[in-house]
Amino acid sequence: MREISVIFRRELKSYFLSPIAYVFGVLFLGVLLYLATQRQIVDGQQASMQAFFGLLPVVFLFFLPGLTMRLWAEERRSGTIELLMTFPVRIGHLISGKFFAALAFLAVLLLFTIGLPVTLATYGSLDWAPVLGAYVASLLLAGAYLAVGMFWSSLTRDQIVALLLSLVSLLLLYAFGFPVVAEWIAGFLPTWAVDLLGGISPYKYFESIARGVFDTRDIVYYLCFCGFFLHANALVLNNRRLKG
Amino acid sequence: MGAMNDSLPLLAGARRHCRGTALGLTLHVVLLVCVLGQLVYLATRHRARVDATSDQLYSLTDSTRTLVGGLQKRLVIEAYLSPNADLPAQLRDTRAVLENFLDELVQLGNGKVVVQRFNPNDDKAVLDKCTRIGVKPIDAQNSSTTAVGVSRHWQGLRLVYGGGRQKVIEQVAPTVSFLAEAIVTPAIKEVVTETRRKLGFMEWPSAPGGQEAQGTGWEYVRTLPDVSKRYEFQNLKDAEGALIPAEIETLLLFRPTDVSDRQKYVIDQFLMRGGTVVLFADVADYGLNPNRQCLKVPMGFDAKDSQWKWQDQLLHYGLEQTNQIVADLQPQASQAQNPLTGGFEYLGVPVQMGLVRQVPYPYFFHALDVDWAQISDRLASASGRLDEEQAAYFKRTLRPGIDTDEFVFKAFKQFKRTPGFYWPCVLHLRSNGAEPTLPDGVIGRTLLWSSPLTIVEEPPQSLNALLGRDLQSQLAANQAFVQKLQQRIQSEPRRQVPLMLDLRGTFPSFFRGKDRPQKVSEQKEEQDRKKAEAEAQPDAGGAVAQEPDVGPPKPPEKTAGEAKTSVVAEPTPIAVASAPGRIVAFADSDFLRDDFARGAYRQLGGPHSLFGAAFFPMLLDWLSQDSDLVALQSRLPADRRITLVDDLGDGSQDRLAAEKKLRTTQSFLVTMNVVSPCLLVLILGFAVLFVRRSQKRRFLSSVEN
Repeated sequence: MREISVIFRRELKSYFLSPIAYVFGVLFLGVLLYLATQRQIVDGQQASMQAFFGLLPVVFLFFLPGLTMRLWAEERRSGTIELLMTFPVRIGHLISGKFFAALAFLAVLLLFTIGLPVTLATYGSLDWAPVLGAYVASLLLAGAYLAVGMFWSSLTRDQIVALLLSLVSLLLLYAFGFPVVAEWIAGFLPTWAVDLLGGISPYKYFESIARGVFDTRDIVYYLCFCGFFLHANALVLNNRRLKG
Repeated sequence: MGAMNDSLPLLAGARRHCRGTALGLTLHVVLLVCVLGQLVYLATRHRARVDATSDQLYSLTDSTRTLVGGLQKRLVIEAYLSPNADLPAQLRDTRAVLENFLDELVQLGNGKVVVQRFNPNDDKAVLDKCTRIGVKPIDAQNSSTTAVGVSRHWQGLRLVYGGGRQKVIEQVAPTVSFLAEAIVTPAIKEVVTETRRKLGFMEWPSAPGGQEAQGTGWEYVRTLPDVSKRYEFQNLKDAEGALIPAEIETLLLFRPTDVSDRQKYVIDQFLMRGGTVVLFADVADYGLNPNRQCLKVPMGFDAKDSQWKWQDQLLHYGLEQTNQIVADLQPQASQAQNPLTGGFEYLGVPVQMGLVRQVPYPYFFHALDVDWAQISDRLASASGRLDEEQAAYFKRTLRPGIDTDEFVFKAFKQFKRTPGFYWPCVLHLRSNGAEPTLPDGVIGRTLLWSSPLTIVEEPPQSLNALLGRDLQSQLAANQAFVQKLQQRIQSEPRRQVPLMLDLRGTFPSFFRGKDRPQKVSEQKEEQDRKKAEAEAQPDAGGAVAQEPDVGPPKPPEKTAGEAKTSVVAEPTPIAVASAPGRIVAFADSDFLRDDFARGAYRQLGGPHSLFGAAFFPMLLDWLSQDSDLVALQSRLPADRRITLVDDLGDGSQDRLAAEKKLRTTQSFLVTMNVVSPCLLVLILGFAVLFVRRSQKRRFLSSVEN
């Protein structure tokens, strides 16, 4: 645990010391909040964060691969991965530290959006429970996206390749959650495969928690999803360590 | 070469190792997928969920729990569903919602609820049955690159309770669970309701503008599906004036006018035996012709030959009805909640393309769910100076608009308002000016109040606020109309007017010590008797002379009419209530009137009493204390609109200025919410940068030193 904590602190510090993180933060917040306020305050005029959390998975889709692309690829490119591998820590600790640091960075960014629900609560009757639920769901979804991004980043030394692989895979996973896409793929895939693909899409589970219903199914799903990709990440790194 | 030969087994070993590793890795991943998949599957089968929304929108309501939990017989739900795989995208989600809901019903039912699934596409017999019982297919259009076609899908239910009563839901495609509940639970209620509760009513339809009386009664609300399937109405305003049958416990009186003494007696005796009288009162009848000229139609409470006054009778029970009407000048009280969909609820002017511009008309308003005592300071501030004494008085005396927690208003509290009232009258508890002076054994309370900005007046001959033919002149007329009232309110005392009252207890009979008003047949009989007596008068001496002089005198022979009367003899009048009765009184009857509730003036721009029709079934459930569906009825999405511009002022706010202010506020909020977080992140970034630079500079200088 101590090892995870050390790596976590080091990684988090590196985020906040890097100017790229601030540029990323400003862009992420700017795009998300501009689109959300247009839909929420100008068009919708409802004290509800539905528009904001409806946009969030899409914004995550395009921004999170940018955050994860460098996590392992950069280490490989600069050659520091060999150094990391020689540290007296387990690969699982390394992955967990990096994963939680990225998640914490994103949580800090999401904290900057709290002004929007506060504004809505000031001018209307905002139901806070679904908002808090949706923030939790956002973190779980972000965790899932980060895990996928980290996995692809561990496979390649090229950040752009990692970015594209993450983007495409997340886009596909996201799309499988939509009935229209499911209907389309049902044309050439058997029903069980369509159901399976629909079942692994994180979007469906996000929607459920984001509306304010905490379901053990959704939480277990996210934990398993993250667990799977982080474990796959560990297998890749472990394999590389064994290869020397 | 030898070295090479030596290394060959090593390479082969490495390859084997690699193959082994790849196989191991694959197995590892497959096992992991299996384990995690199993975990997710188990979590799906054995779920625990917490609905954190404040209105519990995603949980089954108490209505469903109570209904399904209390089933006495087996409820079979025949679900006619085409296979999930065949469904188009738009139906697939609704199927999942419906299936989840049915599963929950089965779990709740503890064996009393059985769901049987049928696929009409598979079996011709099932398809025939589907068509026969009334389940309707959903035709969905599907298109591919080569063809456009229509596919037929089934998603309907038949509920069969105890093998007998049944109800068919032709199509059910709920997008969220509470919609499934809103459709299926009332159907369950309907199917398990084996006897309809009987209600009596008397109505006095108006003839506005000299038109025919048809369409201006109260039939529409009585025949609503929610009402007619659970309540049976009996018209008790018969020509004979018979007493109310014993099985009737509730009597609805829709705008009593020209009430005969006999009707008054019937109502009195009904109350004496513990009945509930629901009074929808009015003192003036205004007609709404196509030009919406609100002209007063003469009306009186008492029939021509009436000896007793209706208002005196009500006063005797503790209810005072004066000949006045009410206007509420609080701007929010006479505005539709949603200008787009509810704009017709009050008075509007058609603009173009079916759009309606709502105009203020203070005689149409609703009670607001506002605690008026909280704005006492504002009400007591004349020209910016606070009259503290008056403010304290207002704090003490002003009541909330909805002054009750009764379940009948649960749904309306979410909308923060009650149904609208249209030219309501003044109706309050009998008082000596300060305190209510109700009869002994009677308690009364006011459930709804108008706002403190209320005007009370004798009904004017005309209340037309829309003079002129074109839009501009109508708007100008309306503005002048409202301005006049606003000037008037300045000199009026701040007061609230009751809009709904509830009195309970052992009421004293109004007819105690009075002659019992006779039935029509009795009156006729008496007239016949008098006539016969008058005719027999000249021969009286001769008849007596012919009487034999032996034996005791014979009793006079009964006439056929007398014999009939003695068979259905009228019970002795009840002078003191035998059981506690109840009077629920509304200061308006128009909000349930056919033309208002049906939306007859919708094309003209209103009014359309949308909430009136929704309120009536809730009222009946409340009166009969049937709270089974209340949780469901109150499950309406709460009003979560944001109010960026406060318009609780004096109502004279210019619309353009308000819109400008709205745009400015919106721009400010958008800027604040977008720019501020970004700026904060940037400032943080620069702060870190400067700290780092200074640290670097310090470090470099320390190295140089």
